[in-house]
Parts: sequence; structure tokens; C-alpha cells
Amino acid sequence: MKLIDLIRLVVNNLNRRKARVGLTAIGVVIGTAAVVILVSLAIGLQMNANEQLYGIGNLSQINVSPNYGGGGGGYGGPMVQIAGSLDTGESALLTPRAIKDLQALPGVVSVIPREYLNAQMYVTYKKMQGYSSIIGVATEDLTTFGLEADQGITGLSRASVVIGPQVAMGFYDPNLRPGQETPPPPDLYDQQIQLTILKYDADGNEIRKNISVRVAGVLAETGAESDWSIYMPLDQVASINEWANGFRVNRNKDGYTEVIVTVENPDKTIEVRDQIIALGYQAFTMLDFVQGINNFYTILQVVLGGVGAIALLVAAIGIANTMAMSILERTREIGLMKAVGATNRDVLAIFLGEAAGIGFIGGAGGVLIGWLAGQGLNVVAVVYLAQQAAQQGGMPPSVAVYTPIWLPVFVLLFSVFIGMVSGLYPALRAATMIPVQALKYE
Amino acid sequence: MTPLIQVAGLKRHYQMGGTTVRALDGVDIEIPAHTFTVVMGPSGSGKSSLLYLLGGLDRPTAGEISINGERLDQMDENALALFRRKMMGFIFQSFNLVSSMSAMENVAFPMQFSGIPVMERNQKSLQLLGQVGLADRSGHTPSELSGGQQQRVAVARALINDPQLVFADEPTGNLDTASGVTVMQLLSDLHKSGRTVLVVTHDQRMTRFATHKIFLLDGHIVSEEEYKSATLALDNQGE
Repeated sequence: MKLIDLIRLVVNNLNRRKARVGLTAIGVVIGTAAVVILVSLAIGLQMNANEQLYGIGNLSQINVSPNYGGGGGGYGGPMVQIAGSLDTGESALLTPRAIKDLQALPGVVSVIPREYLNAQMYVTYKKMQGYSSIIGVATEDLTTFGLEADQGITGLSRASVVIGPQVAMGFYDPNLRPGQETPPPPDLYDQQIQLTILKYDADGNEIRKNISVRVAGVLAETGAESDWSIYMPLDQVASINEWANGFRVNRNKDGYTEVIVTVENPDKTIEVRDQIIALGYQAFTMLDFVQGINNFYTILQVVLGGVGAIALLVAAIGIANTMAMSILERTREIGLMKAVGATNRDVLAIFLGEAAGIGFIGGAGGVLIGWLAGQGLNVVAVVYLAQQAAQQGGMPPSVAVYTPIWLPVFVLLFSVFIGMVSGLYPALRAATMIPVQALKYE
Repeated sequence: MTPLIQVAGLKRHYQMGGTTVRALDGVDIEIPAHTFTVVMGPSGSGKSSLLYLLGGLDRPTAGEISINGERLDQMDENALALFRRKMMGFIFQSFNLVSSMSAMENVAFPMQFSGIPVMERNQKSLQLLGQVGLADRSGHTPSELSGGQQQRVAVARALINDPQLVFADEPTGNLDTASGVTVMQLLSDLHKSGRTVLVVTHDQRMTRFATHKIFLLDGHIVSEEEYKSATLALDNQGE
């Protein structure tokens, strides 16, 4: 039997039982529409989450900390708790030699030591004060980290710093009296600011060190740590730390506290991260975090899709019932088909085709309704969420429900498949009927 | 010349409520090609069972069935279906037309399983409808046709694949006298055009067209005299 004849016959057969086919297909419509809406919602949520995470940092960067041995731990930057490490019990320090080894790993573009200012401090500009984290980096230009300047330059020198765009927001007037108007945040670009570092001697007396620097550049906003940080050359931060902590660091012996490894592209991040861990260091990349979030949303998609699938399961039972009834009613017709030379395969194909046809009709309707409902929901939800965002701060979402093109295609194919699976048993019964019994069926 | 149909030791037993019904109990038949055979017998004599076995629509309990030299009892379902498609046409008492299809589509129906293009199918269907005198009814569905017309559509359908053999199971059973005669005439014409026709019937009138007669009583073949005396005895009992 030719495919075109099969399709024509299936369409005719479905057409002659419009009401029943329609009612059965409604079950499939509900199931597929539910799958489309719920999965689209989960995808929309994931997209929103990813938008909010836009500033999570450069996904081709790996933060590497030394492993001081004895079961991990030790100082290793702020993310050490969730950093992966291979616990060999041996220490792996980030000495200049180790940095050369990291540099030699395939896919690595740069390895740059980084150190936080580890002392009590504040920043002063004219009458205003602020607090900020100070990061020393062993690079002459912050573009190495993918950072860009909004004002001025990204280059670092001993007499100047580059600050994040939010640093100025934290400035306040400590002598402000109640009732006085809060001054607006200062424009720090190209201004001299003073860093004041504090330490205490053995008797508890405060010792201050003032460093005056010029703000040579303000970074463009990234949404990440750089927004609130002041960048200085590593040596300068290291010497302040030595002064504040009274401890002289020998890099060849003690190594650096943290290095930032940048790889060619984010595809290689995990591979390089694993190699670094294999060398005995602790390594963390924001990609882990993003992947964790993506995994969560994938699970959410599966769970919500599963809820819709329950509706589809009910619809599948409806198809099976309709097909079983249809076969009972058309037993003599099946006998006739066999008498005039239809093989078991022909009969099987006809009834499977009819079941698949019901799945297709329901699937097409469900996809259309699901998509339209998603668009409607988008209009309502985006307006509502934008209001919420305006009231509570934060970015308004661009989309609430998103239907990628693969979803309707998949759902349509799946509903056809569901139809075929549901129709399989009735169709097999039809195909294996003994012709004489079918012809004599009353 | 070897006969077209050869049957030896054919048995068909059914289990019905714990008892064995011997519908056919050792039947031997030889039917030459190009004949008009009428199988006569009262209800329950096994005549329909014989037709369905010869048509490959049922499986024998025992015995051999050869048609055109091929053993039907040894064929699998698929081979039987292909054999029926190529060799046989069927006419049933209750017409068995597909109610949603037009007369033309009903006649063409068997051809779609052989993958013949729709234009060719419809052309041949119209030609056959003309042959049975229903050219002007090709677009009508079965419910718009009389019983006699429906059976003529069924005759046309039986001929669509150009079969050598035509089987008819009580073809006049549901028809009035005049329509019955028309259908008998059509079957006779098929025989005259060179086909082998086998009709299972109660209808005595059919014997006028027959070249061969088979009489069945209780699953056995009997002579015409035995059949007549037995049916006469039954009629007398009835009176």
C-alpha cells in the first residue's frame, strides 16, 4: 500500500467519525497545551534568571587558590568553600614556578595573580568617606579580565587606581547632621582620593597609613565584583598587606593567595578547571554556578513537562478507548479489507495511522492553543513583573513565557507518537483478526 | 488437465460450548477452470465453511486445498492475502460495502492495497460500474442505493483486480426476486467471460446457470438424489 493511499484512507476514516475523533482529540489538546505552556514557562524563568545573572562574571575565568595540604581548607579567596579540589593531602602552592606550569596548560590565555587588601581601611574624598574592597592584580591593564572603562583608562600604575562604577555610591559625609540633605555621590573620575589603612601596635595604639592616589578610570558596569572594587597593582597591595600584618611574604616559598586563569573561550573552562584540580590546586569558575542554575531549570522543565504529560497520559487512554471501540464497530470492514487482499501490515498501518492522526490533530491544536496562551500570559505577566521591578528595584524581565521553536515541533511529534502507542494494541488486534470471524461478526 | 481447485480430505471442526461441531468432515472436490459451480445445502451443512476455506479466509482443521497448483493450507497470512488479491474476488450476502465511500470508491477499494494510482483505479471502477449497469450511480453512497444496486456494486468490486476466481456467498439472499435474477445473470456473464465462479446458495434458481453442482449435508458431499430425498424428508417432517 502506498503512503499517499494510506494517508488518504486515514483522513477519510477520521473524517467519517468527526464527533468522536474531535472529542478524543480534545484530550490530547489539553495535554499538549499544558506541556507547551508549562515548559515554555520554565524556559522563560530560566531566561530571566540568566538575564539577572548577566554580570556573574567572565565565564572563561577560573579562580585558582593554593592547596595548603592536610585536607584542604586554608585561605583561598572568598569562594574557597565551594571550590573544587583534589584532596591529595599534599600542598600545592601558587609560586611563580607553578604559575608558569598553569600558563603552559593548553587553552590558557593568561594567569594573573590577585590579592585582596587584607586590612582595616577606608577611602576619603574631600569631606566624604567610603569603604570598598581593594584588589591588587598583577597586570598592567584590566582589559585582561575583560573589563572596560566607562571613563578614563583601564591601565594601572603606582600613583593611580581604577574603580568600579558603584564605588562612588558608597560615599557619605560622616559629619552630616540630622536634617541636613544627603549629598549626592561624588564624581571620582580624575580626582585624588585618599586610602587610609589602619593597624594597631602591641599596646593597642592605632597607626594610620595614608596613600593618595588619582582615579585614572571608572569601569563600565558588569554587575559583578568589579563594580564595587578599587583596582591597584598587586605589588602595592602586597606591600600594604605586609605593613598591616607585619608579615613578609616570600613568593617563591609562600606563593600567591589567588590567581585568575583566563582560557580561550568558555567551552574550555571546565576542561582546564579539571586539569588545574588534577595538579592539586583548588579551582572555581562561575560556569559551575551557572551550570548549576541551568541544571535546576532543566529539572524544572522536566517536572512541569511531567505535569503536562499526566494530562497526555489520560488523553492516550482516550485514544486507546476510541480506537478499541472503532475496531469493534468496523470488524466486518476489517474482514472485507482482508478478503480483498489487505495484508496484516496494511490493516495495522491503517489503524495505527488513524490513532496517530488523532494524536496529530490534538497535538496541532494543543501546540497552537499553548503558544497563544503563552503569548497572552507574556503580555499580562511582563506588565505585572515590570511594575514589581519598578517598585522593588531590579531589572524588569523582557519575557515571562518563552516557547523555543523546538518545543512545538517536539510536542507535535510526541503527540503523534503517543497516538501510535495508544493505538498499537487495538491496531494489532485488528491486524491479527481471522478474516472469516471478522466477516461474520454481528 | 489439472482442475483449478483441488480439495482432499478437508475438515473444519469448531469447538462450540464444549461440543465439537463438524462443519466439514472429510470433503474431496475437484473444480475445473471456467466452470460455474453451485454449492447447495441447508443451513449448517457446511457450505459457507467450504467457501471461506477455498477463499483462504479460514484455516482447515485437516486436509489439503490447492488452487492453481498452490497449497493454501500451507501459506502464511501474508501469502494468503497476496494470493486473494491476485486470484480471487468475493461477493457476500450482506454486500459489505464501506458506508462512507461512494460506489466508485467502494469498487476501487481493493486496488489501493496493490499501489495502483488513483486515476487508474477510478477509471477501471467506472468501467466496471458501467458493466453492472450503474454508471450513473458512481457518486452515490451505499445508503443511497437499493439492495440490488448495492450487490451489483459488490460484484463490480469483486472484479476490480481481474481475478480468475469469483466466490459468492448467498449473493441473492438479501435481494428481492427481480434483483436476485439480475445478480444471477451477472454471475453467469462472469462465467461466460471465462472466469471460474463458485456460488454458495439456497436459491434453487441458481442451478439453472450451473455447470457443476455440489450438494452438502452435515459436512459431507452427497449425490443430488440423496440431497433431494433428504431435503424432501425434511420438508415432509416440516409439514
